[in-house]
Amino acid sequence: MSAIEIDVTVNGAARRWRVAPGDLLLDVLRREGYGGVKRGCESGECGACTILLDGKAVLACLTFAAQADGREVVTIEGLSPDGKLDPLQEAFVEHAAVQCGYCAPGMILSAKALLDERPDPSEAEVREALAGNLCRCTGYVKPVEAVLAAARAKGGAR
Amino acid sequence: MFDHIEVFHRPATAHEAVLLLQENGPAGRYVAGGTDLIVQGDRSIRALIDVTRMGLDYIEPRGDECVIGATATMNAIARAPLVREWAGGILARAAATCGSVQIRNMATLGGSLANGSPAADLATPLLAMEARVGLEDSAGRRSVPLTEFYAGERARGALLIEAAIPPPPQAGRAGWSFQKLGRTCCDISLVNVAAGLGLDGDGRVLWARLALGAVAPVPMRAAGAEGLLLGRTLTPELLGEAAETVAREVRPIDDVRASADYRREMAGVFTRRALRECAREAGCA
Amino acid sequence: MKPEDPIVGRSLGKLDGAKLAAGRPAFTDDFPVPGMLVGKILASSRAHARIRSIDTSRAKALPGVRAVLTWQDVPRVPHTTAGQAWPEPSPYDTFLLDSKVRFVGDRVAAVAADTRAIAEEAVRLIEVDYENLPAVLDMEQAMAEGVAVIHDEPDAKGIHDARHNLAGYILKELGDVEAGFREADFVCEREFRTHRQQHCPIEPHVTASWLDPDDRLTILSSTQVPFHARRQVAMILQIPVQRVHVIKPRIGGGFGGKQELLLEDICGALTLATRRPVKIEYTRAEEFFMARSRHPQVLRMKMGVKRDGSITASSLKVLATTGAYGSHALTVQGNTGSKVLPLYRTPNMRFECHVVYTNMPVAGAFRGYGCPQGFFAQESVVDEIAHDLGLDPIEFRRRNLIRLGDLDELSAQLGEGRKGLARTIRSCGMPQCLEEGAAAIGWQEKRQAPPARDGHLRRGVGVACSMQGSSIAGIDWGAALIRMNEDGSFHVMSGASDVGAGADTVMAQIAAETLGVTLDKILVTSGDTDTTPFDVGAYASSTTIISGGAVKKAAEKVRAQIVALGAKFLEVAPEAVVCRDNTVSAADGSGKCISMQDLARRATYKEKMQVMDHASHFITDSPPPFCAQFAEVEVDTDTGQVRVLHLATAIDCGVALNPALAEGQVEGAVAQGIGYGLYEEMAIDGQGVMRNPNFLDYKILAANDMPKLTTILVPTEEPLGPYGAKSIGEVAINGPTPAVANAIFHAIGIRFRKLPIRPEDVLRAWREKNRQEQPAAVTR
Repeated sequence: MSAIEIDVTVNGAARRWRVAPGDLLLDVLRREGYGGVKRGCESGECGACTILLDGKAVLACLTFAAQADGREVVTIEGLSPDGKLDPLQEAFVEHAAVQCGYCAPGMILSAKALLDERPDPSEAEVREALAGNLCRCTGYVKPVEAVLAAARAKGGAR
Repeated sequence: MFDHIEVFHRPATAHEAVLLLQENGPAGRYVAGGTDLIVQGDRSIRALIDVTRMGLDYIEPRGDECVIGATATMNAIARAPLVREWAGGILARAAATCGSVQIRNMATLGGSLANGSPAADLATPLLAMEARVGLEDSAGRRSVPLTEFYAGERARGALLIEAAIPPPPQAGRAGWSFQKLGRTCCDISLVNVAAGLGLDGDGRVLWARLALGAVAPVPMRAAGAEGLLLGRTLTPELLGEAAETVAREVRPIDDVRASADYRREMAGVFTRRALRECAREAGCA
Repeated sequence: MKPEDPIVGRSLGKLDGAKLAAGRPAFTDDFPVPGMLVGKILASSRAHARIRSIDTSRAKALPGVRAVLTWQDVPRVPHTTAGQAWPEPSPYDTFLLDSKVRFVGDRVAAVAADTRAIAEEAVRLIEVDYENLPAVLDMEQAMAEGVAVIHDEPDAKGIHDARHNLAGYILKELGDVEAGFREADFVCEREFRTHRQQHCPIEPHVTASWLDPDDRLTILSSTQVPFHARRQVAMILQIPVQRVHVIKPRIGGGFGGKQELLLEDICGALTLATRRPVKIEYTRAEEFFMARSRHPQVLRMKMGVKRDGSITASSLKVLATTGAYGSHALTVQGNTGSKVLPLYRTPNMRFECHVVYTNMPVAGAFRGYGCPQGFFAQESVVDEIAHDLGLDPIEFRRRNLIRLGDLDELSAQLGEGRKGLARTIRSCGMPQCLEEGAAAIGWQEKRQAPPARDGHLRRGVGVACSMQGSSIAGIDWGAALIRMNEDGSFHVMSGASDVGAGADTVMAQIAAETLGVTLDKILVTSGDTDTTPFDVGAYASSTTIISGGAVKKAAEKVRAQIVALGAKFLEVAPEAVVCRDNTVSAADGSGKCISMQDLARRATYKEKMQVMDHASHFITDSPPPFCAQFAEVEVDTDTGQVRVLHLATAIDCGVALNPALAEGQVEGAVAQGIGYGLYEEMAIDGQGVMRNPNFLDYKILAANDMPKLTTILVPTEEPLGPYGAKSIGEVAINGPTPAVANAIFHAIGIRFRKLPIRPEDVLRAWREKNRQEQPAAVTR
């Protein structure tokens, strides 16, 4: 087995890792300290492992670590580097959108990807953007409210 | 768990990729988005050949065709203006229904076609538009109709390079439709239909394309129903006949998602819906 | 936050919200321990078989494998995996590892290895020689003579009739139902069938265990019941309770599936065998068929009514299967009777239930705990009776619903599997729930006009009422300890298990309110058997009323200590001391006051006392929350698909101590309830194998599948609950399925009595109905 050295920028920091060719990005990220990337199904259905790869929401459980070489990864940890919550995270907390919290990192990143591209989404667009993040606790009511509120707040600040 | 993978190649060209696959034999596999390969968890794989860094993610006009590279993602396809305007945008619509946003950011045209699922949402519109696929292997490059790809070419394991979509038929006023039935909003198709109709001023069918997915071992054209429609004026009765013909042509299976009978019936229902939408799009009520 | 606002009753943010939104380490798998091994269970591929031999030699020889355990390596201690108060009312029919397997997924062996890959390879290398036994897959055949006996082991205890695969049997009667039916003008008797639903917590079951330097077994686990887990692990591994330490970190969803000992014992066994830390995490597939699920039932519901709409008798006969092991067998089914029948007043009630074993995945606790099944049957029958009598469905219910002041005597007969306690209804907002819910769905206009139709689409609205309980009367209990810190903040130590619903936050609100401080002054530690006092754990909708009740009592005692100090420091009588908003002041108009911070420092360093107290709490009743749920559906008569457009829930949970968290419980429960009725189904084949152990084919609702949800909190005040609270964790899962079924009847005139209500079934029934009504019409 020939190990591979990969250079990945994670949350703005350059990381160099030795990985096995078959290593999945989910496993590598978790073992390298990014525990906010969650393991829920390992088959791309639940979205708990959602990260941003070059700004796009993707599933770490279906990405080989080798494929992240030379690319930029953002995990939930990257949204609050100094411990201060990002407005989207704040909105989730304020709107009681976090119950058990297991799906929250993935869901927040999906929402971030949406708002980065579409600052003023409709409710339908928010639901579509979150459709790949399964939640068993909230019925999605408050998460959707939180994303719409965060979008409005950003708009207001402009 | 892919602890059995011994090597991960990242070739820069298709030619390199083809050579690598040859070297590794049956234990080698191309991988693009990984959304099928990883889920399948085939433990016999020893070598992976990542084809996403070979510049095959283009979506561009070439001559009078719309050409899509094999590693263009579902999302890229769904958003590309060229694809959204081509044949009523049915390929873009199909791409937009594949799974979740995350899956659509990862899954590729090539991976989807090469995986060969009859439910692949992209395959049905490509079939209806009579697309060809460009392949490359040790025998070189060639282009085959998508039907031939499904008929046996796919099993030969050539690298998928691109899909080339010819311009839609020009006769009459055209209307296209893509319809999909799933259990929930984000679902694998239980049935999908891609249709195109060309109608003259009196609503007579000049040409008809009708493709269905998830109702046969491979995505299929409903040739019988297409033939039935030609030259006839669209009426609710004709739609009913077409639906019944399709229901006889499909060969669905029972599985945990739906029974064969239900798929058969839904093939008819969604054929009717698709043809109605085609008619509306073509400006005929 | 305005200082004069109370803390309870406000939608304050969850204490752990920031941590979770930031993705900081919080869950079991976020705390790796150096040297941790990966554990994996070899699961049976047979539904029913004896293990003739297991050859572990190749597995043991694999480099990196540290232990391989089979039934020969571990003690044989019959037990139940149900997380219930001792002595558990579930049969002791399970063994850590056994020489017999009873369902596909049953434990055969366990491995601990250096890496996951090695553990998985080792499992593949274990060779098992099975002697197949006839599998009992059909619960309706399980009791027949000559059928294979699933629990033929001589050392199982508490099985009602093992020879006939009968795990439990219940028969309870009030009054005389036969006389009641004779008295009736109309009798409606219908059969219903419900199916297997899985909890699908996004975090699968996961447990880590290690030996601490004092050689005590520490278990970090995603569990709802840390104290029960401690007792059970000690019993099964034959070590003293004192030697076991269970810690519950944040949990990624439980819903009852984690009210169970699923991994803690086997993980602990591997740690004892290797003396190394071990972690076992279920894959999603394992979570589906090796965890727990909802009991499928066949229910025969019979109700007799007089022309005036009063109910003369109601009777429910249930056949249920608990799968291969009997955890929660008696108690879930007991609830199907005890929480369901008494919703409507009648002097004559009868509940009979057989719970059988089958060689199927094991059923257990699941939100609602027997009520979703029962209310599906009862609310459908009630709806049918109202329709046949020409009565408005809401009016018929209103006339017969249990009322304030009523005594529910059936509960006295059916406690947690044994004699229970009668329930007195001391708070009931149901009439208002019906009124407000009906308004929210637009009941009047949608029921008065003919059901809306648009081509092949038909719309309808339906209603369902339900209730639940708040803790298990006389059995659930919890304790809390509250300590003041030197800076005027407080530490609440509670044995309660916050499963994500916000229990820690609600307990903090109760403490803050009682102590007279702001919420930010409260720290909560919960669910740690070494550091927190005992609590039965999170189930039976008990946390707010029991764990919260204990916190309130403890806080009252601590407050008394503060008041005494305040009186001393301010030189006023204790009666004149007021604690509010982090300040202790004199209510005598003098303006004398001291900050809680200063009082705390003085107490610590001058008085040299630790302000601290504790309390234990239980109640001898189980006040029901009440719920009226309304569904508007749209049926596509071409495809049979049913789309829920709107689900309105009007709910009386007493005082909602945190309205946003309360709504969150309703919203999540409604999503699960709709899933139960229309989308979710564990498909088990003729070999006992689950065909859809994944999210691709076991469909739980996603964000773009959800209908519009309206949640209305109807306030009442429950004398037995802290600050008037009851419970809200479960009840809202009961109504969506029958409300949807009743709405479908309104839309297309067909009743569905088998779950889930699948498009194929709807289509078939619709075609059949049209054929009967218009034989000459052209059908397409």
